[in-house]
Amino acid sequence: MAEELEKDAVAPSERRIVGKASATERDPNSSEKFSFWLAPEEIVNPFDIIEAEQMEGTRTFGLVTNIKQITDAPSHLSNFISNDFGSPTSTPQTPRQGANVGEVSVLANYDPSEPKRYPMGIYMPVQSDAPVRFADEAGIHVALGIDKMFEYEKEYKEKITVPAGLLRMSNGTKVGVYLDKRYVLGPEGAHVNIAGISGLATKTSYAMFLIQSILQTIGAKDIAVILLNVKQNDLLVIDRPRKGMKPEEHEMWEFLGLRPQPFENVRYLLPWGKDTQTTGLPNCFGEPPDQFQTYAYSLEDVIGNRIHPGPGLGLLIRVPDPWDTLGALIGEIQQGIINQEPKWKSVTTWDALLNGPPLIDKGVPQTVKEVRASSVGRFIRILRRVVKNRQSGIFVEQRAPRRAANLGEEVRKIEGGQTMVVDIAKLTDEERALVFGHIIQEIYAMYAEATVDERGELPKKVIIFVDELNKYAPARRGETESSILGYVLDIAARGRSLGVILISAEQFMSEVHGQVVGNCSTKVIGRSDSSELADAAYRFIAQDVKAHLTRLDKGELLLAHPIYRQPVKIEFPRPAFEAIGHERLGW
Amino acid sequence: MRNPFEGLRPALEVITREARVLPATGQAIEDLVRPDHEEVIDRLRSVHDKVLDVLLEAPNREPYVELRPIHRTERHLLRYFLDGSARTFFLGDVVEGTRRTPVHVAQIGAAAVFRKDNGQINVAQVVRQIVLMMDKNAVSFGEEVQRIVSQAGPLYAFHDTMAEDGETEVTAPGKEPRSRAAHKAHHLMARLEDEIGRTLSREEGQWLVLDGSLGKDLYSWRDVPQFFGVTKSFSREPIFKLPGARGGQVINLYELLVGLPFSARTCVFSARSGKVGVWYVRLREQRHLDYPLMGVVKVEFPNPSTEAIPSELIDEISAALIAERQVTPHGKDIRWHAHLYPIYLAEQAVKNSFVSSEVLKAGLKWPGITHDRIIR
Repeated sequence: MAEELEKDAVAPSERRIVGKASATERDPNSSEKFSFWLAPEEIVNPFDIIEAEQMEGTRTFGLVTNIKQITDAPSHLSNFISNDFGSPTSTPQTPRQGANVGEVSVLANYDPSEPKRYPMGIYMPVQSDAPVRFADEAGIHVALGIDKMFEYEKEYKEKITVPAGLLRMSNGTKVGVYLDKRYVLGPEGAHVNIAGISGLATKTSYAMFLIQSILQTIGAKDIAVILLNVKQNDLLVIDRPRKGMKPEEHEMWEFLGLRPQPFENVRYLLPWGKDTQTTGLPNCFGEPPDQFQTYAYSLEDVIGNRIHPGPGLGLLIRVPDPWDTLGALIGEIQQGIINQEPKWKSVTTWDALLNGPPLIDKGVPQTVKEVRASSVGRFIRILRRVVKNRQSGIFVEQRAPRRAANLGEEVRKIEGGQTMVVDIAKLTDEERALVFGHIIQEIYAMYAEATVDERGELPKKVIIFVDELNKYAPARRGETESSILGYVLDIAARGRSLGVILISAEQFMSEVHGQVVGNCSTKVIGRSDSSELADAAYRFIAQDVKAHLTRLDKGELLLAHPIYRQPVKIEFPRPAFEAIGHERLGW
Repeated sequence: MRNPFEGLRPALEVITREARVLPATGQAIEDLVRPDHEEVIDRLRSVHDKVLDVLLEAPNREPYVELRPIHRTERHLLRYFLDGSARTFFLGDVVEGTRRTPVHVAQIGAAAVFRKDNGQINVAQVVRQIVLMMDKNAVSFGEEVQRIVSQAGPLYAFHDTMAEDGETEVTAPGKEPRSRAAHKAHHLMARLEDEIGRTLSREEGQWLVLDGSLGKDLYSWRDVPQFFGVTKSFSREPIFKLPGARGGQVINLYELLVGLPFSARTCVFSARSGKVGVWYVRLREQRHLDYPLMGVVKVEFPNPSTEAIPSELIDEISAALIAERQVTPHGKDIRWHAHLYPIYLAEQAVKNSFVSSEVLKAGLKWPGITHDRIIR
């Protein structure tokens, strides 16, 4: 591909010069930044990538971060006076002298000579009056470091480029932008986080596009995908091709070297509901998929057994527990039930746990070892609310394995090439935390505790997609805190070496735990408001670029990847599966 | 970057070899022209026109003519604008026995700009020179210095500060060469303006506007079509005789301009024995300004035939000038109220071609003179 680009590339001297670099007393150029004035009539926009002629015949590429107009008017008053003392309809006989000046962050320097005289590049400041042009496709790849990926592929015969979107410049140039597999699926880095208020279903759509891109380019057979559906029935139709895709949408997929196709080999796991016993229908939005399986939680499923411990009651108790009183009680209960201790033997259902001994005797909470009766009473009140009073129906007294599956067992059965969609859209927050916690706990256990032989049988990579990550890994400790945070942090920190990849999304990155965001090598940001962007979580974005983030359009995202020296603005094609939810919501 | 003053180095070496040099304290010092040179020149050139009592237009006989501005989108008359600039630096005194002369270096230049249909300005032509100035006859090696500088290339020139040119000795009276240098540089600059103005290639209908009053030597401009001069700082000495009943009325400049309404011109007066028509145009409303003379420009129109100038032509030119009031160099030039913006841009084109003061001070050093020698 790199060769093709070089073949098709237009020599710099044949491309139009749009302006010249400009260094002044007060605004000098540096190794990191430079300015250039634009010829009249020329238009560039923030996020365009331009190139400037550099010393020794090399070229310096940069990202336009801002464009300013300067004039010779020393004050606004001068302009007021110049317009006939404030006549808004007057036309100047000689327009005031002004120039549009672009501010550029240096991305890379490229030495076209072979053998290269400056393999490390020349990072001298761009010299004043150096001609500036729009970069072409090959130049943009050099600027972002994508050319090095192509070189690696050529040398090691291994596919590492993952199409991530389309970069469209003001002069009409369209360029495919690629991620480095080693920084998405490990081992160099891993995880993708998508933040922003871009619009309905944009973040989910991008995650689906990226996962599809990974499956098509890296190879589906070694990768298992687990998707948590949190909104409507958005992800309950991902195996159905979308009808009426426009030709330009096809073109965009094909431009990126991808096929616009739905997901294959999909399993849907939908939650058991209050009416499922009688209707047979799961607790989901709209019509369930043609093929699906329900899942439910009995007390035994939550607590588990000695071989396969369950997610634990801790995931259900999302209240502050500064002295670990509730934690101690949960430990006692789980130990007692798993070890089948005599006084816990009769506790096999939620009712038994909540209404009978050893926690309750004749309706009165009892002391359990060092945990006082008042704390036991508090635990019962909280648990009753979660699994009885406010539950969606997922908690059952006895689970019939033929009618409802144990989610943990289903997760353990996942294979490479399979996509598992777990619907949690209608679940309460506590139930969602339980399901997500259960999944990552199982996956983490599968990979972290597997022997070498067992690892061979597992998919090489597991991608987990979850929206609203801030609910499971909040930035601030608070009332919604639960033991799920520990699991998420483990996955974030060790996932890249284990092959467990988290693709997560949320509206506000500032509300997600810093360690989780920090461990995401690739960050994608949609439109965000300025108060959100003022948070420290967005430190990696230059101040000028932040201002542009507040007016990104729907379908436009800012992509930051370790290989790129600066984040770039991308577009991406709509998902190729039938997106009932998206269409209804106006995508 | 090579030293732009390298060409003067051999001449400075001769001076330091032949005489004792008392360098300017803290490198070269800029000598400024005061008072307003433009006004002084205008006063000088209109020295014989103290009383303007003959009207040089027909058929208008009214003292004031109100006009509607003619915008370039309607009729684009004024296309070329010409201005010059000079900056003079004192390098030091040269002492030979009992005789001495100050040594100056001036950067002089002139530029013409062209205004396109859309109002954008392009530089049409720009010339620049670096001039070494001294009292050539005050020292024995003056001739040699002149010869060396004249061989240094077209960028460099030598000029005798005391040589008479018909203006400098009037604008800077007295024999002190130090005070004459800046005025001399302006005179040399005017010569560059003159050179560009006369040789500028223009199409018919493309008027050229010169900054300042017309030069003394109008004969050399006899074949140059469609040009006039606009002065923003003009002599306040003339007395005018306005047409009217019972022989008209005699008034001074202040009275003339107080009565001049916004967007209007005065009648055209004859100057220099009818070879130049002079009138004033008010560009800005008086209520916006501090003083009646502000916001007014003086126009000098060449009239080699000495016949009456058609009032229609005067109106057209004046109306085009009134349209020039937008935009202004307010905040950049204290004369903004009477400054034509394209003229200002021509001036900027010249100044931007000059070497900066910092470079000049660093590049112009007396060869072989060390710090301790200066102290001694």
